[in-house]
Amino acid sequence: MEFGFPPDAELFREEIRRFLRAHPPEGFPEDGMDAGYGSGAHSHAFLRALAAQGWLTLGWPRAFGGQERPMVHRLILMEELAAAGAPFGPLPGCDQTAESIIQYGSERLRAEVLPRIARGDATFWQGFSEPGAGSDLLSLTTEARRDGGHWIIDGHKIWSSHAGIATYGLVLARTDPRARRHQGLSMFVVDNRTPGMDIRPIRSLTGGVYHYEVFLDGVRVPGDYLLGRENEGFGQLLKGLDTDRFWGRFYKAPALRRVLDQLVAYANATERRGAPLARDPGVRRQLAALATEIEALRMLFYRAGWMIEQGLPITYESALGKVMADETGQKLAALGMELLGAYGPLTPTSRWAKVGGAIQHMYQTSLGHTIAGGTSEILRTTIAVRGLGLPKA
Amino acid sequence: MDFRLTDAQQLLVNTAREFLRRRCPPELVQQMATDARGLPEDLWKEISMLGWPGLLVPPELGGSGGSLLDVSLLVEEMGRAGFPGPFVPSAVVATSLLRAAASPAQQQRLLPDMALGERLCTLAIAEEGGVLDPAAVALEAGPGGRVTGRKLFVRDAHLASHLIVAARGAGGPSLLLIETSRPGIALNPMETMSGEKLFEVTFSGVEVGAKDLLGPAGQGREPLVAALAAGALARSAEMVGAAARMLEMAVEHARTRVQSGRPIGSFQAVQHHCADMLRHVDGARFLLYRAAWKAEAGQPCGGDVAMAKAHAGEACLAVARKAHQVLGAIGYCEEHLLHRLHKRVQAASVDFGASPEHLETVATAIGLV
Repeated sequence: MEFGFPPDAELFREEIRRFLRAHPPEGFPEDGMDAGYGSGAHSHAFLRALAAQGWLTLGWPRAFGGQERPMVHRLILMEELAAAGAPFGPLPGCDQTAESIIQYGSERLRAEVLPRIARGDATFWQGFSEPGAGSDLLSLTTEARRDGGHWIIDGHKIWSSHAGIATYGLVLARTDPRARRHQGLSMFVVDNRTPGMDIRPIRSLTGGVYHYEVFLDGVRVPGDYLLGRENEGFGQLLKGLDTDRFWGRFYKAPALRRVLDQLVAYANATERRGAPLARDPGVRRQLAALATEIEALRMLFYRAGWMIEQGLPITYESALGKVMADETGQKLAALGMELLGAYGPLTPTSRWAKVGGAIQHMYQTSLGHTIAGGTSEILRTTIAVRGLGLPKA
Repeated sequence: MDFRLTDAQQLLVNTAREFLRRRCPPELVQQMATDARGLPEDLWKEISMLGWPGLLVPPELGGSGGSLLDVSLLVEEMGRAGFPGPFVPSAVVATSLLRAAASPAQQQRLLPDMALGERLCTLAIAEEGGVLDPAAVALEAGPGGRVTGRKLFVRDAHLASHLIVAARGAGGPSLLLIETSRPGIALNPMETMSGEKLFEVTFSGVEVGAKDLLGPAGQGREPLVAALAAGALARSAEMVGAAARMLEMAVEHARTRVQSGRPIGSFQAVQHHCADMLRHVDGARFLLYRAAWKAEAGQPCGGDVAMAKAHAGEACLAVARKAHQVLGAIGYCEEHLLHRLHKRVQAASVDFGASPEHLETVATAIGLV
């Protein structure tokens, strides 16, 4: 067992920190809301700055213009960006889509979309959930039918994160209505500018726009924008699910640690009844307990990452990581609000807001995390059935 | 980051698991919980032949020169089996203390026997305050070099040939190595629900002198801190192993217990309890391994050890309580192993510092003023 990092990885970490000092994250314009996952706000400008460093193709095969760097480099990049509160919201989705296109994509997708991803010119929204298909994703009804060398997609997607500001959607649609539910689904890459796409914002409880609903009305997609094989979309999704879940939450521990450090600083600097909050035994214990939980979370993600790198089968580890990441995040946000007391609910526009008014935003966004991408209830069942061998209901 | 065990570690773990499965079955654990001695003599001899007591003793003194991580892995297996006896007090804590405090000549005299399992030592530090704290030691030698007073919560004093007594010295605690048979020393059991053997050790005019000192007088603080950290890690490992075993019991029960025509493990509430238990075990395990690794590597790790111990205590007790809930009535019987493991975890959770004390260390480590 080894809990340190190799020298080249530490050198890369220093390089990233130098970049962040030279290009402070706060200086980049934001196009889309920070949804609280730890990847920050959605910023096309920041994505392009990362691309300019060559950091959007770290793990790609050289044949596709990548650097084939060890996985630990990607981990360190995410860690450092999250620890700095950088706006890299679209990055995990870009990495994920690139990997899918490299694995399953047609020549045309590889030739047209991959270079755009590498340049930081392409971002993606996921078109999976529908009004009637959330946890029961397989009940989705959006369909795609062949029309010569094209597909025509009709349907309705909802809870599509950042769909209105992204470049492409990854749309899961039924291509064989006679097949069983989990067969007969296909994945399409759909350019947002395609006629028939009606993308409408959903205002979230924070007041900001994060999710969208997308109406697809006769949307014509070229045949080679089918991603992977016809009718194998769900299988492809499942195959990548554990890895996608891992990359979707790996950076949460360092992001939470950053918030915790801000709360420690706040406790040190704030007096209540004549003494620093930091001296209150209850405050000390709660912050120390959350710091401990965040470290436990960090270690579980390193362990899961190691398993993925070694090609070891993941049964429950990514599901557990997500549940823990999201519940720890909720606990931290709740603790922060309690610590800030009357100041907690103040929003950033109030000159009296503390910790930049960020905790109330985190508190609100954290409510959705245990619901999106696999509810904690479904995931606990996954852990029990796949991880512990308990019988299905 | 690499989570692979070395070949030697894998062998140690596999051997331990198999040996303990055969030689430390639940029946033995039950018996030893209410037995005055608490460990069959032949079983200690067998583990001595396996080299376990010498795991932390350097090779030149007859041990295998293992690391704190190796010891954590072994003690995790012991915890899984509910293995009773003085391994942690003697082979981990006292051995660590001797390595840190004793002169080379003293180590030469004492450690080879410890490695062979032929000498057992135990630390006597806590007093009526109930804490293992070098700063809280009040027992001291009076005029004429005689000690009168008491130590509490001394583990396995009845099996130890020697006590390592933390006494008050000039400028800090002194460490005295005193044979348990010395005139004036009396041992009285402190009855506990855990099945562990704790003793009140009373000193009535016990003669002590410079020859009994381990290291210079008043210089015992640093060696004690190192030994107490080793104890905290070992107890955390014990808790993690016991919790893993309790989770296994809960899962096995959930798979086989049928009610309303189906195994209770198919009910979501039961599934979710088990998922939470797995979360607690995994969360505690890797904090422990990292702390042990850092301690062995000589890296500053006070905060990491504190995190590991605090978290293990809370997480493993949560596992124990959930396991009782899943096992239902059958877990409520004395003859079921579950409560024995639970009580060991509870005892370990407050040994070498309970969670609140360790969280206070963490509070400082994260920068709270």
